[in-house]
Amino acid sequence: MDEPLLLIFLAAPFAASIIVGWFGWTQARADRLTTPALGWTLAAVMGGMFALGLAFLPGITAGETHTLSLEWMPQIGLTFLLYLDGLGLLFVLLVTGIGTGIMAYAGYYLEPGRQPPNFLGLMLAFSGAMLGLVLAGNVITLFIAWELTSVTSYLLIGFKGKDPEARRGANMALFITASGGLALLVGLLMMGAAAGTHDLPAMLSSGDLLREHPYYTAIATLIMIGCFTKSAQFPFHFWLPNAMTAPTPASAFLHSATMVKAGVYLLARFYPVLGDTPLWESGLITFGLATMGVGAVLALRQRDLKGSLAYSTISQLGALVALIGLPNSEGLKAAFVGILAHALYKAALFLIVGAVDHSTGTRDLTKLGGLRAVMPGFAIATGIAALSMVGAPPLLNFVGKEYMFDAYYHIENYAALAVVWVSAALGGTMALIIFWDVFIGGAVKPEVWTADSRHDDHGGHDDHGGHHFHAPHPLMVFAPGALVGLSILLGLGAGLLSPFASSAVGQSVTLYLIPPEITLVFWLSMAAIATAVGVFLIRQPVRRLLDAIPLPSGPAAFRALIGSAETAGADRSNSLLERAADALLTTQGGKIRYYLVVIFLGVLAVLMLPPGVLFNIDMQLPSQALDLTGTDLLKLTLLGLALAATLASILFPPHLLATLLLGVAGYAIGGIFLLEPAPDVALVQFLVETLATVLLVLILARTPARERREAIALARKQGRPGMVRDIVVSVMIGGAVTVFALAATGSRPTPDPIAAWHLENTYREVGATDVVAAIVTDFRAMDTLVEITVFALAALGVLTMITRPGRSKFIMRRQSAELTQELEAVREEAAAFEDSEAAPIYRSAFSNPVTRVSAALVTPIALLIAVGHILYGGVAPGDGFTAGVIGGLAVALTYIIFGYEETRRRLKWLHPAPLIGVGLLVALINAGLPLLAGREFLAHTSIAGIDFANIKFASSTVFEFAIFLTVFAGVSTIMEAIAHPMEVESI
Amino acid sequence: MNTIFALATGIMFAMGVYQLLRRDLIKSAMGFYILFTAINLLLLAVGAFDGVVPAYVDSGGVPAETTSDPLVQALILTAIVISFGTYALLLGMIAVTSRRFQTVDSDRVDNLKR
Repeated sequence: MDEPLLLIFLAAPFAASIIVGWFGWTQARADRLTTPALGWTLAAVMGGMFALGLAFLPGITAGETHTLSLEWMPQIGLTFLLYLDGLGLLFVLLVTGIGTGIMAYAGYYLEPGRQPPNFLGLMLAFSGAMLGLVLAGNVITLFIAWELTSVTSYLLIGFKGKDPEARRGANMALFITASGGLALLVGLLMMGAAAGTHDLPAMLSSGDLLREHPYYTAIATLIMIGCFTKSAQFPFHFWLPNAMTAPTPASAFLHSATMVKAGVYLLARFYPVLGDTPLWESGLITFGLATMGVGAVLALRQRDLKGSLAYSTISQLGALVALIGLPNSEGLKAAFVGILAHALYKAALFLIVGAVDHSTGTRDLTKLGGLRAVMPGFAIATGIAALSMVGAPPLLNFVGKEYMFDAYYHIENYAALAVVWVSAALGGTMALIIFWDVFIGGAVKPEVWTADSRHDDHGGHDDHGGHHFHAPHPLMVFAPGALVGLSILLGLGAGLLSPFASSAVGQSVTLYLIPPEITLVFWLSMAAIATAVGVFLIRQPVRRLLDAIPLPSGPAAFRALIGSAETAGADRSNSLLERAADALLTTQGGKIRYYLVVIFLGVLAVLMLPPGVLFNIDMQLPSQALDLTGTDLLKLTLLGLALAATLASILFPPHLLATLLLGVAGYAIGGIFLLEPAPDVALVQFLVETLATVLLVLILARTPARERREAIALARKQGRPGMVRDIVVSVMIGGAVTVFALAATGSRPTPDPIAAWHLENTYREVGATDVVAAIVTDFRAMDTLVEITVFALAALGVLTMITRPGRSKFIMRRQSAELTQELEAVREEAAAFEDSEAAPIYRSAFSNPVTRVSAALVTPIALLIAVGHILYGGVAPGDGFTAGVIGGLAVALTYIIFGYEETRRRLKWLHPAPLIGVGLLVALINAGLPLLAGREFLAHTSIAGIDFANIKFASSTVFEFAIFLTVFAGVSTIMEAIAHPMEVESI
Repeated sequence: MNTIFALATGIMFAMGVYQLLRRDLIKSAMGFYILFTAINLLLLAVGAFDGVVPAYVDSGGVPAETTSDPLVQALILTAIVISFGTYALLLGMIAVTSRRFQTVDSDRVDNLKR
């Protein structure tokens, strides 16, 4: 049954994130907020969601599940599905509950300014992503949310982006979690393929199918990799301590209580379908226990409080992963309690460390001591949290630890039990050290704090020159206090959690604070506490011993393999990846023509390699080759002329000569069109050929002669091997095209139905006699509409490119110095240009009375001719294109004769760029009008006729006019751009 | 005639590719233009039938017996204009390149390299 309330869990955090982020946009807006008030407001938002989550609890424990299904992409069977069951609700309550405390705390932790709204906005976005992850009912939704948590985590770790440590930490975290995300994506998609559905509820009931499936090994491995990277499992664990550069509320929220547990969540989520196999068991237990041991040992080596909390988090995550690997529900039960207990005490400890840091300016264990005198509330909270971490009754973690030992004892895996027991004891030692050495033992040492300048969580203190202790706000202790309070309450009421645990684990389980019978496990638990205390007492020698052990460094290995955050400069590490990239770059010559050669050869290879499209074409060569009937000598001559002129344009180096020879070839082709007979095409070909030649000549005039001479000299010097290579490539391509052309001309259907249809229907349907014009403006009008749009864009592109160089604000800001220099150079060049040999073309070198008079007359006459072509487009050669190009040619001539300035004066009425828009608009309106009458887009409509002049007004006439406008304006735009002499003036 | 047209198209195409591969950007652009022409020739050659009169119908709507194929003509018509637009864009790029890099030698415009 659909439960729309589920949407609140996504909508509320994201909406709040946007609103809060809006305040953080500028200093002025941020100043309107009071930071503690903001913190409490957001705590209320989180608290509201927590209450909503609690409201679901009774139903969920009674075995209900809730779903919400929204259509997403029904074409490919995707729905946006939310799904809430016991496991999901555990995490929903975790995220919203811890989030409530974190938000309230952050209000006192953050210094006022733009940071709080920006930071809290990100935290809210993370909350939304995390809730989306645990509520996702579809693996695609799940993956998107998963990646979103990685991205928000990246932004939060790198929140103090000016600090290179923060950048490095953020990059490392993103690199590792996102790589794992890719593995997860493949795993999820394979899982979807194997199960035949992407929806979790359906997928969760196909466990046997999946376990038997040939993909199983790949699926389980990929999903494990994804979860291991996210949950900081050995050997990917090292990103987590480096992520401690994040502001402490983010560390407490993301990197201890919630995000790092996403991997644990997913493993628990898929336990029913993927779990209980040898691969699952060995994979999870091996890596989980390795992580647990490594984390516990490394935590003791740390002097930084946050660092040791990070390693102890890693250790605990390893414990949870290993528990999910166990083949019975005991493991899941222990994991349920463990997740809850760990989130409560670890988040509290992080917040406490943050407060210590906030008040003293240091997190170094060796510089702290005796803080109970100045932070009594925090001392008490730390004591309780430490007791929970040690596993003392009646706290919740006592229950968790006992179940953990019991789970291994139950399956008689004593080796694993030993590892778990030692790691748990060492974790307890760590907790005692934090409590005792920071709050109880030693003395307050403010002189040491002031010497410490690494305090940078909140910029305000940096200017003080030293740090003076300032007591934390009394309400700051609220969040850690509430969390440890819950530790006690839930520990005492562990039995009450049984129904919730059963629904989360999926099997009926019972929880006790006091076990009904005292077993060996109980004594193990007690012994662990005693060992923790014992090791604590000899902590100094133990730490010296641990410090002496050389261990491989994860970050160093990462830097050697992947690299640092910096891609250039002194910090750039010569990592394996970067060296590989450098090696790969040597294949990238940066020379366009080599890329072209590769592309051409690639196309040929695709055509020739099996299945060898090129060889399978039925060419009917023999019969056709001999058939020379219908050979038209005149056509043949023109064809020969076109080929010869083209060849000559290649062989003769001077640019101007080549340009003119190309023009000859173009006219010859126009002649062939005329003989076809295709008068409409021939007309346009002649006009465009003229225009293209003029354009090329103008471009030649713009290019300094020195550059052109250099280019020609280079072409002469170009080596023989290169030329041979180019000839070989061209001949091969030409051969392939010939084969294609032979096949195409040889397979013409006779009689051809399409052409015949157009011939028969032209007059009947659109009342025109020019079949080609009818096709352009009516039968294939959509093609034409798109085509003039493309032409308009090309014209505007030329204008933008040439007249507005480097105007982008972004470039201005980023490389203003460089840009200024460049602009200076361009200005000088423009000044020099005035004196150069190319300049006269703009200063009307062709200007004499005769040319001036003709040029002045040419535009009106050309436009008159254009009108004729538009009106008679349907019945005579020439149409909108012809009209547009004729008008454009007139404008081009005006520019050549009068130069830029005078032409702008003379053609003051002509604003080509806006006119392009007008043309397109007319075309669109004309095309859309039939829709109003309930007819099709672009439908032909007859309007009126003038019989004696043989003119028929129809929608196609308007279309011809629109084509004319667009083409005319486009050509004029191009001409204006090319003739524009001082393109940098405007900056 | 078809065979000859097909061959001519191939030769034209080969010349266009060769010219396209020049270091000189202006020559390269000319290569593009030759390719455009070659394509138009190809379109003309694959027309459904050879005609002796233009593709017009009389006022009764009756086509002459042997007109040329109107469909390929319409295709070429639009292709010509599009080609010109593309060509203008290419030439504009050369103008910008020449101004910014002080050269029309494509090998010296090596910003693609790191």
